[in-house]
Amino acid sequence: MLDYILIQAANGLVIGVMFALIATGLTIIFSILKIVNFAHGEIYMMGGYFGYYVITLLGVPPFPAVLVAMAITFLFSIGLERGLLTPLYSPRIERKADYGILITFGLSVFLRNIAIILFGPFPLRPPSFIEGSLAVFGGLMISYDRLVAAGGGLLLLVALIWFLNRTVWGQALNAVSQSRESASIVGINSERMYMLAFGVGGALAGGAGALIAPIYSLSPSMGLVPDTQAFVIVILGGLGSVSGTIIAALLLGISQNLFIALLPDPSRGPSYANAFGLFIMMLVLLFRPTGIFGRHAVAMD
Amino acid sequence: MRAPDLALVAVLALLAAAFPFLVNAYWLHVMIIAMMFAIMAASWSLLAGHAGQFSFGHMGFVSVGGYTAGLLAHFLGLPLPLGMLAGVLAAALVGCIIGWTCLRMSGPYLAIFTMAFSEVLRITIVTEVEVTGGAGGMSVPQLFHARTDLPYYYLILALLVVSVGGMMLVVASRWGLFFRAIRENEQAAAAAGVKVTRFRILAFAIASSLAGLAGTFYAPYIGILTPDIGSQDQMGLVVAMAIVGGMESLPGAVAGAISVEFLIQALRSYGQWRLVLFGALLLFTMRFARNGLLAPAWLRLRSLAAPRAAALAKEAVR
Amino acid sequence: MMNGTPPLIEAIGLAKHFGGIFAVDHLDFEVHAGELVGLIGPNGSGKTTTINLLTGHLRIDGGGVRVRGQPVAGLPASGFAGLGVGRTFQITQLFSRMSVLENMLVPGLARPHAHKTHVTREARRHLEFLGLAALESLAAKNLSGGQQKLLELGRALMLNPALLFLDEPFAGVNPYLRDEIIRFVQTLHEEGRTFVIVDHDLDAIQRLVHRLVVMSRGKKIADGPLASVRENQDVIKAYSGT
Repeated sequence: MLDYILIQAANGLVIGVMFALIATGLTIIFSILKIVNFAHGEIYMMGGYFGYYVITLLGVPPFPAVLVAMAITFLFSIGLERGLLTPLYSPRIERKADYGILITFGLSVFLRNIAIILFGPFPLRPPSFIEGSLAVFGGLMISYDRLVAAGGGLLLLVALIWFLNRTVWGQALNAVSQSRESASIVGINSERMYMLAFGVGGALAGGAGALIAPIYSLSPSMGLVPDTQAFVIVILGGLGSVSGTIIAALLLGISQNLFIALLPDPSRGPSYANAFGLFIMMLVLLFRPTGIFGRHAVAMD
Repeated sequence: MRAPDLALVAVLALLAAAFPFLVNAYWLHVMIIAMMFAIMAASWSLLAGHAGQFSFGHMGFVSVGGYTAGLLAHFLGLPLPLGMLAGVLAAALVGCIIGWTCLRMSGPYLAIFTMAFSEVLRITIVTEVEVTGGAGGMSVPQLFHARTDLPYYYLILALLVVSVGGMMLVVASRWGLFFRAIRENEQAAAAAGVKVTRFRILAFAIASSLAGLAGTFYAPYIGILTPDIGSQDQMGLVVAMAIVGGMESLPGAVAGAISVEFLIQALRSYGQWRLVLFGALLLFTMRFARNGLLAPAWLRLRSLAAPRAAALAKEAVR
Repeated sequence: MMNGTPPLIEAIGLAKHFGGIFAVDHLDFEVHAGELVGLIGPNGSGKTTTINLLTGHLRIDGGGVRVRGQPVAGLPASGFAGLGVGRTFQITQLFSRMSVLENMLVPGLARPHAHKTHVTREARRHLEFLGLAALESLAAKNLSGGQQKLLELGRALMLNPALLFLDEPFAGVNPYLRDEIIRFVQTLHEEGRTFVIVDHDLDAIQRLVHRLVVMSRGKKIADGPLASVRENQDVIKAYSGT
């Protein structure tokens, strides 16, 4: 039993790192563009497929393929941002919050359905990063793919924190997230920052998709669960806070898997695992309508 | 109502009454489904378009209505009409509760909260197989023992007319005025003496009870109820219908629902592409025609016919 | 004035803190029917917070509020409106996509037993008074800034309020409109309405009010007839920032 709990905790950590990648992307997009991207899970899904085709069609080895998939997702996200989100920056458009909600919600439906046509409805599984499993204490086995996903995800998170804190681009993003007006006064081109934020946010989700593909396989609807779980995380961690988001993601990943392990009825565990996070989020929203660390309600008009 | 409008209503009524005799059984079925979606789309546009509460949990209330009716019939043997009534009441009650819990939320927070509600409900239905039949669904007895869909057609037509007519009356009344005032500026509405709490919950209760109504019709008509009706894809379909029609126009939402449903069925030989189409239609409408396609087109058409009435009409719909 | 009838509105030890700082620090303050009071003070002295507390827009942290002698603890903003306490906002708050007339109808129809034809007639009368009658079918967002300010005043009038809080009615207003607003307030005061006006335009305030209340750092530092407050050393100190 203890072994089972340990393995679930380890799995939870892997999932937590993936959640962290997806949710930090969501949070970066929110803090710069002031919208909640309801299509974020679908961008994660696209990233997974990009990785798959980079490997199978172009013959790129799995490790660099993750980076290529991220680059493609970055460009893909910027394309979406240019095509659909520019009205958010126009002073003439009213009710930007509503527009942001509906256009990204519509995008999620669109991407899910077009993925069925482009990639087929059946699950696809790219080759493993490294075949086999690692034996840890006692009879515990953790597949190398999970270790790679967790390690790669942590590397990306470290790179992200470095990018946000140590580079000019990251600091410009930070400035825009604090105040668009002041940022534009000191000469930061905020339109370019919107592109960058949406691209980086998308690339992080895409990276998660490519890293997780060998473990769970790819399917057009794979984005649905991470999408809602990412909302849970950003609500728990506070929309706009990167460190809060990472902590909340790890906590959610681990507690969700422990929930599965400890629920007396094992047949219901995996099914209710997703409801578990959602339920906690609903409770949090009930008492803190803008999340635990959230500063204000979202107001843009 | 002006004379041309009355004439239009009369023509539509005649057309609706005669419709089953003009088409084959397949298109009758499509029309029944379309009218059921029209109730969902119109009630969503009341809540989102008029009252400004962007709920993505609307299909959750459809499930509440459908499963209440289905479970009562299944376990207690309650006659379906009573079960349907119970379903509507249950949806209204849950709507009040959800409306009350998200009183302090707005914008994306409310959207996420309501989406979470409908997902938790859907997951519960999928998991509790012994009670609900799980993802495979539960069978629901038929409402009519007729060989054609004719009774269902007239029933849903009546439900559509009553619910959309009722909502149009609400929108035209002071309640509708208060809904819009709260949508525009909650603080100012309170300062103007509008009981914000009461009317926010009221909007939720009306919209969800009608969503529940559509669910209670859906269950016995299809004969099998699955948790899929509460999925986010179905939610996307309803949002697309309302937005294509023009989100702040109830007849627009009805027209949107019927045209999108017919379009999807007419294109069924294209398989999956038709579902991409409605996603694209939703994106296109939001991006380039935020007031919808049908309601503004209708106004344009009328302004060609009667240029003087047009200015007034534009003012009324906005 | 003090002949036994309770004050129209009364704050007793009213307190509100944000974080650890008292924005309103145990304030005692009352307004009697028929008064025209100016509420002034440096930026951040708690004037707007006071209005928000006295109209139900903020939750009270300490003390109490009475309207006509009745305690109104926990009453929501709509309840204050129902008791005839109206207000305008520092930044104009309108129903922007609704027409001018509809903006006026909202408070009118929110009153109990309101009749639509009667309310509409009343709304048109107020619009006439404010010079907005010709604009009644325009969307509120299409009005000029000054017209929006007047519409907000008109909307508050539709509550048929005994007491009106005006939060910075003269901010960002051109001299012509400023005179207009002064004239409107004077007329409405003569009709028997009570006013509390917050503004930084001391010149306009002095032309209007009979009594001046001065706040500084959440506390009331002076309260009395115009002339005596002007001489008050504390007030001069608070304004000179020493």
